[in-house]
Amino acid sequence: MRRYRPAMIRFRWLPAVALPALLVVGGCGTGSDDLVRRTAEEFTAAVASGDVERACGLLTERAREDVECESLDVPGGTVRAVEVWGDAAQVHTSDDVLFLRELASGWRVAGAGCESQGERPYTCEVGGP
Amino acid sequence: MKRFLRDNGLGLAFGLLCLVTLVGQAFAGNADLNNRRLTDGGDPIGFWQYVMSSDFAVDVAENWQSEYLQFFLFIFATVWLMQRGSPESKPADRMGAESDKDQLLGAHVKEQSPPWAKAGGWRTALYSNSLGLVMLGLFVGSWLTQSIAGRSAYNNDQLNTFQDPVTWWDYVLSADFWNRSLQNWQSEFLAIGSMVVLSVYLRQRGSPESKPVGTPHNSTDETG
Repeated sequence: MRRYRPAMIRFRWLPAVALPALLVVGGCGTGSDDLVRRTAEEFTAAVASGDVERACGLLTERAREDVECESLDVPGGTVRAVEVWGDAAQVHTSDDVLFLRELASGWRVAGAGCESQGERPYTCEVGGP
Repeated sequence: MKRFLRDNGLGLAFGLLCLVTLVGQAFAGNADLNNRRLTDGGDPIGFWQYVMSSDFAVDVAENWQSEYLQFFLFIFATVWLMQRGSPESKPADRMGAESDKDQLLGAHVKEQSPPWAKAGGWRTALYSNSLGLVMLGLFVGSWLTQSIAGRSAYNNDQLNTFQDPVTWWDYVLSADFWNRSLQNWQSEFLAIGSMVVLSVYLRQRGSPESKPVGTPHNSTDETG
């Protein structure tokens, strides 16, 4: 990158072919919203019914490290909005903000009971940065 | 075939180099991304998944847009600005858009002139600026691609660090977008400036980007 090319290069066909492909790649969506929503609903349902074992099973390994499953206590709520970017997602429920991560095993909850800190990262009761 | 290769060697060589380095970038970028994903608790992704990702797209587009910006500015700037002694510059007496006689237009067109050069009116006006305008279009397209793919990659980072995603407008006003853009632009302008000035005093025998080796330093508009 960032090298000088002679001013009269002749392969102008290359970008004509490659640029539209790049535009498609750059603009395409993730299409994972449903999977994220399903995981989030499963997690909030497990929290609501007190099935902490099921809820804990939906956490990422990293999130599970700093929580005792028996005493898992996060707000849960009804899923209102899902936003997915690549292998990460944010879910707003009626009572909570969840962060999810796509792993080889599927979508898992990386943070729950999260509160906005403005410009700084959210702080979460379970998981988090 | 042999003749075709000879006649198009420069375009083919750089086209091939572009493809080879693009593939190399894809492999290196995939490995780099996977290292980062493992560090922050994610799982690695495969080669084709990476090639289709916004991370790869933004890294490609941010370089492409700066190249086309460089060409667009250089093509238009060399109409009006000169550098005495540089083979990249016209001499002082030819500054500007030049006469129809110099540009083989109007009564001076040749039988082999391009059809739109002979057509007159808006078609000749458009064709007279087509090289710069296409470069401008490719720059705008690449920069737009950078903004779309960049936002996607940025939002992925935001969510992985437990921060809110941003809108496209927020992204194009963000430090990430301008840092990516400006770091490429400055290097392009440095390269152009270096080429223009160094070619006044240095030579590359046989290259049309250089003056003939024995040409005086103050001689402008000569290629060897």
